[in-house]
Amino acid sequence: MSLWKPMFDAARTTIRNLGRKPITAMHPFEPRVRAPRYRQSFALLHEANGDEACIGCKKCEKICPSEVITVGTAAKRESPATGKKRGWADDFTLDLQACIVCELCVQVCPVDAIVMVRVPNAPGFEREDLFLTMKRLYENEALPHAPAIGSSMIASHNPAPAAAEAPKEPAA
Amino acid sequence: MSTHAPAHPVETSSAPAARVPTPVIGPRANPYLDIESYEAEGDLMVLNMGPQHPSTHGVLRLKLWLDGEVVVKAVPYLGYLHRGVEKLLEKLSYVQSTPIVDKNDYVASMTNELALVMAFEKLEGCEVPRRARYLRTICAEMQRVASHLLWLGTFALDMGGALGGGTTAFMYCLRERERILDLFEELTGARFHYHMMQIGGVRHDLPAGWDAHMKQVAADILARIPEYESMLSENPIFRARTRGVGRIDALLAQELGLSGPNLRACGIDHDLRKSQPYAAYDEIEVRSAIAYEGDVYARYVVRVAEMRESLRIATALIDGVPSGPIMGRKPIETVNAVKPPAGEAYVAIDSPRGELGSWVVSDGSPKPYRCKLRPPSYHALAALPYLLPGTTIPDVVVILGSLDPIMGEADR
Amino acid sequence: MNMLFGSPVLHALILGVVIISALLGVTSYFIWVERKFAGRMQSRIGPEHVGWKGLLQPIADAFKLLIKEDITPKSADRAMFNLAPLLAVTVALLSLAVLPLASGLVIADLDVGVLFFLAAGALTVVPTWMAGWGSNNKYALIGGMRAIAQSVAYGVPLVLAALVPVILSGSMNLSHIVAAQAGGHWFAFWPIGPGFAAGILFVLATLAEGNRIPFDIPEAESELVSGISTEYTGMKFGMFYLGEYVHSLVGAALFVTLFLGGYDGPGPDVLVLQLAWFLLKTAVVSMLLLWVRWTYVRLRSDQLMTLCWKYLLPSGLVLVVASALWVWWKQQGGLA
Repeated sequence: MSLWKPMFDAARTTIRNLGRKPITAMHPFEPRVRAPRYRQSFALLHEANGDEACIGCKKCEKICPSEVITVGTAAKRESPATGKKRGWADDFTLDLQACIVCELCVQVCPVDAIVMVRVPNAPGFEREDLFLTMKRLYENEALPHAPAIGSSMIASHNPAPAAAEAPKEPAA
Repeated sequence: MSTHAPAHPVETSSAPAARVPTPVIGPRANPYLDIESYEAEGDLMVLNMGPQHPSTHGVLRLKLWLDGEVVVKAVPYLGYLHRGVEKLLEKLSYVQSTPIVDKNDYVASMTNELALVMAFEKLEGCEVPRRARYLRTICAEMQRVASHLLWLGTFALDMGGALGGGTTAFMYCLRERERILDLFEELTGARFHYHMMQIGGVRHDLPAGWDAHMKQVAADILARIPEYESMLSENPIFRARTRGVGRIDALLAQELGLSGPNLRACGIDHDLRKSQPYAAYDEIEVRSAIAYEGDVYARYVVRVAEMRESLRIATALIDGVPSGPIMGRKPIETVNAVKPPAGEAYVAIDSPRGELGSWVVSDGSPKPYRCKLRPPSYHALAALPYLLPGTTIPDVVVILGSLDPIMGEADR
Repeated sequence: MNMLFGSPVLHALILGVVIISALLGVTSYFIWVERKFAGRMQSRIGPEHVGWKGLLQPIADAFKLLIKEDITPKSADRAMFNLAPLLAVTVALLSLAVLPLASGLVIADLDVGVLFFLAAGALTVVPTWMAGWGSNNKYALIGGMRAIAQSVAYGVPLVLAALVPVILSGSMNLSHIVAAQAGGHWFAFWPIGPGFAAGILFVLATLAEGNRIPFDIPEAESELVSGISTEYTGMKFGMFYLGEYVHSLVGAALFVTLFLGGYDGPGPDVLVLQLAWFLLKTAVVSMLLLWVRWTYVRLRSDQLMTLCWKYLLPSGLVLVVASALWVWWKQQGGLA
């Protein structure tokens, strides 16, 4: 009997799973629930006053391990909203095909200009579909953002946080 | 094998036990067998279990000389997944290298990062705060469970075939692994390559409700492990396929540099979490699972026991995570932020596959001078020319699966 | 209806065409059932989107296989390579000729029906071997060699297990075997002992002859890529696949005929009802075989041989002797 009992046990396990509800998620018919911190594609942001946030400092370009970001720095000129002189970027491209989704560009941005978005780019038929131009990056600003952004990440990495701030809050 | 040893795995106390006193040297195959002289005696068929094969765990080429179905000589060829990671690390700065080594052992990503950043921290001499150490340990242990679940699924798949009982066990294991990946997605935002570790601590802090979620996931997986065992452990077909197959004697294991579950299944209690505690392992009792036969079944049993133990450790630690900062040094804001003094450091951790080490040489600049990564799978694959001769083709697949090689880390 | 249109040839032709077409249709949908069943056992759903609940999936699969490129390797033995898939389906269908689906509903009511289907079962190794040799591929060759060893070995317990109903009923004609089990005296359960054990032996041997897990070493996907069907593409591969499922269904039907009473069942002796009982029993047995397939891992080739020669063969011999003794005891008056 010792030979047959384990065979029956295995059979019983598989039949028991027959009764369980399948765990298949039927997307794209049902939306897939992603974690709040899920990050996939990118967006460039505008400031509250309407200016483009990116100052063309190229820190993201330098830190990217896969070298997917190319920033064209424009000459310094006045901002139409505040009137102060600041840097601008006249071109910003991000090759999503080679991106390894490491989030380092978000971490180092000093002005919180780049952020990751929670919606993946729809698959496309051409390489151009996965090559984010500046125009598309600013269009992506409308998509839901992942919570992590440069200043909050750096704040959460502070080795001596202020006494009031308890790190157990949902920091990025 | 020593006759007084029990035939089932035991869990030792947290103190490192004495070595197995009399290592028995089993019959050894000669991996350098001069095949030309042998060929003259009979006809041998050279079969290439080539880089593309449903069960070589990645791109591994195994050149087998077969006499009928029995293997006479086996030579593994590596390098099909070589991507020049170590050279790439010389070109990138310290800050940029963490997401790159994620891709070595792609099944257990966080352990790669952990080994590398610990070496960088040792070079820099920076202290990791207690909270970060707890988070690292919890992540490493849940990562170990995820890796072993994947191993178990593919191991059953190797044995049962793509259309059959193996697929069923595979689906169950991956179903559980998905829950761990969802957990990590909540923590870091990614499912496979997390980039969680950073020099000086971790990058992401716990979101609200993560500890309750983690405890739920751990309890559910712990409840499901007996199901896998019911399908595999006592099953006579499984036992016939794995008991007595691919026996590595303790001396050979030590000579080859095997580590992790492969070594612990030979009776040697060598666990880096106990002998060189890192992260938060010095604050918790780690019990390693030991088995004494050194065959495929022993390795299976050790890994299942390790899954249980990892779930226990993670559940025990999550309640006691201290509050505090998650980084021990200045936040990293530029690409040249980390400039350790000249020197070298070697740090090894206990990854799900064994001893994963990184040796880093620094020359004072923001880029490392040399990074050498010591992958456990590479040394596990070195056992193949000793183990495979004398076995049949189905055994080749089972033995290869039981060593748990990941070609990404073996080839880098 | 023993003779359609009064001629056995015409009867066989017409009934044969009808039954074989029906079987091929049923086999395609058996594949659908298997995929859904296996999916549910693995906490997932099977095919769902091609047609309502995936019911058009087999048609989509067949269409896909038809439009794929048909590749014959340059150094393959063309005759053997191209003939093997056709033979695989044909030989699997052969045993259908002697199966009584209802009383009188049999294509060829042979007096040596058991011998015929055993011979057809033994023939299944030929297309497998032809595929293994003709592919000029080392993986296929190993698969073919294993198939020969396995088929020849498991042919013996198959014969011995099939002999038990023959002895118990006294005839090799399958219709007579079914008639001997009329009234619920199915050989699997009466007499207690030899019939049940012979049934298990028959199931194991049929699984082995049909290369089903746990005996599927000729096409062991994790070891031999695809074994004998490695080099086949398109519809030729589809034929192997179809042949395997046909063999499985026909094997289940034979088991039902020999051990589970065939078309016997409670209710009046109406043709439609008998057919329904037969189909129901075959369906249940097929589902059981599926359950076995999706639960267990496979045996190693030498363990498979050990099982056959050291355990199944002696058991088969003992069972034949036991059933013969039982029949003699009955004839001597038995309990009366």
